[in-house]
Amino acid sequence: MLEIRDLRTSYGKIAALKGVALDIKDGGLTCLLGPNGAGKTTLIWTLAAILKAQSGSIRMDGEELIGAKPHQIVSKGIVTVPENRLVFPEMSVTDNLFAGAFSRRADKIAVAQDLEEVLQRFPRLRERANQDAGTLSGGEQQMLAVARALMARPKILLLDEPSTGLAPIIVEEIFEIIGALRDEGRTIFLVEQNANMALEYADDFYLLEQGLVTFGGKPGDVDHDELIQRAYLGTRKAS
Amino acid sequence: MDYYFFIDLIQSLVDGLLFGTTYALIGIGFTLIFGVMRKLNLAYGAAALAGTYVGLAAAFVTPLPPILVFFVSALGSGIIGYIVYLGCFRYTPSSHPMAALLASVGMLLFIDELVIHLSHGMPYPYPSVLRNAEITLGEIWIRGDMLFVFGICVLAMVILYWLLYRTSLGLATRAVSQQPRAAQLCGIPTGQVNALTFVISGVLGGTAGAMTAAAVGVLSPIIAMSLTTKGLIVVVIGGLGSIPGAIIGGLMVGAAENVFQLLRGVTERDIYVMLLLFIFLTLRPGGLFGNTEGRD
Repeated sequence: MLEIRDLRTSYGKIAALKGVALDIKDGGLTCLLGPNGAGKTTLIWTLAAILKAQSGSIRMDGEELIGAKPHQIVSKGIVTVPENRLVFPEMSVTDNLFAGAFSRRADKIAVAQDLEEVLQRFPRLRERANQDAGTLSGGEQQMLAVARALMARPKILLLDEPSTGLAPIIVEEIFEIIGALRDEGRTIFLVEQNANMALEYADDFYLLEQGLVTFGGKPGDVDHDELIQRAYLGTRKAS
Repeated sequence: MDYYFFIDLIQSLVDGLLFGTTYALIGIGFTLIFGVMRKLNLAYGAAALAGTYVGLAAAFVTPLPPILVFFVSALGSGIIGYIVYLGCFRYTPSSHPMAALLASVGMLLFIDELVIHLSHGMPYPYPSVLRNAEITLGEIWIRGDMLFVFGICVLAMVILYWLLYRTSLGLATRAVSQQPRAAQLCGIPTGQVNALTFVISGVLGGTAGAMTAAAVGVLSPIIAMSLTTKGLIVVVIGGLGSIPGAIIGGLMVGAAENVFQLLRGVTERDIYVMLLLFIFLTLRPGGLFGNTEGRD
């Protein structure tokens, strides 16, 4: 379980997260919705320790994670699939996957097993195993980014906008993969613009608006249309 | 074209290609550092030279066989590379790219002054091996010591290739140079990778410095300038960030330099090499293997 309390992050003088509080429960899909510029990606970067939190706390099973370095966060099992995928374009698909397992590089046998497992899960990646990642289609790159994160054996998987820039049919495919991961009992934190799609798969959701969590619950609890409107457009007046 | 001129031309090309491997190493060093940090380390040539002096200083303290002098030179340059990293790159703000560049210019001048001061600006004899050996192929003859320089430089490239493509450290280095953000998210400690890249580049630079000095038989502070300018020309021709580019660029500069020397004499040689630089900057600014695309 990841408990985030009063988390604040800013870019210079501009506050992006103004005291975010939310829980990511074990073995479920928690979804974060919110309009553009609400701070969703900032939250992901802060959880990954790429951005430094100003104050607040991020606890994983009681252990404070604020102040840890990005590679320490990965070693603790919090692994990010970044927005826009960010694959290593001039490395083969296999090397991309090996890079994902960097924190476990000492355990060569287990890494080789996981590689086999991941390629089994994504047959398209096996077909292109020796191809440079930059030559893959957007959907394949997104699969690779998810597969690369799985190679780190995540306890919590952070997915930032996996549907960005993909054709609707590919988006469905990606969400099916995410659904399958959830059904295996993995803990997933999904940040998404595509609220309709995300709510179909979410166990819990939060709404982030202007750097604050304004709403949260189970997808069944709320009026769907209003929530989706707020997720896309926001309701709080700009200050 | 008469026969003897033709033989001279071939001879120049062969010598140039053999010596060009030292330029290739320097070019690779610039390229490696640029690859992971996206910053130019202008102190690189000076650090390589200072490292070469470390080997010579060790030989003053206790007599060493030439091979060990070369080895200490390479190692010394690796350590100086790390100091340059700490001084110019580790703590300079990444939001101000000029800060690191200017710090490295400062470091270039600083190291240069230090070397001149400590060596009293005097050239010192530098050991070489196989000085009197030679191989003759028809009318062409190849100096043994040049062949040795060539062999060591190629060996250094082979070891580098192994490091980059067969070890997890190399995987991490390639990952950082292609997509530093994603490398961090994969759990790669980018700071340590950057530091190690400076050490590895330093060792390559020290090897190039040692081989340059061994080929000439003399070590002098003047070499710093030539290492810096030739290294930069090599990366412009090859394309900054490309290792194959640096190798081809190094060989080209080595060969061109010797041919210009044959045609126009030693005093005019560098003028034409510089012209080559401008030709590439104008007609093919990305270099032979350059990536003209930006990156995020």
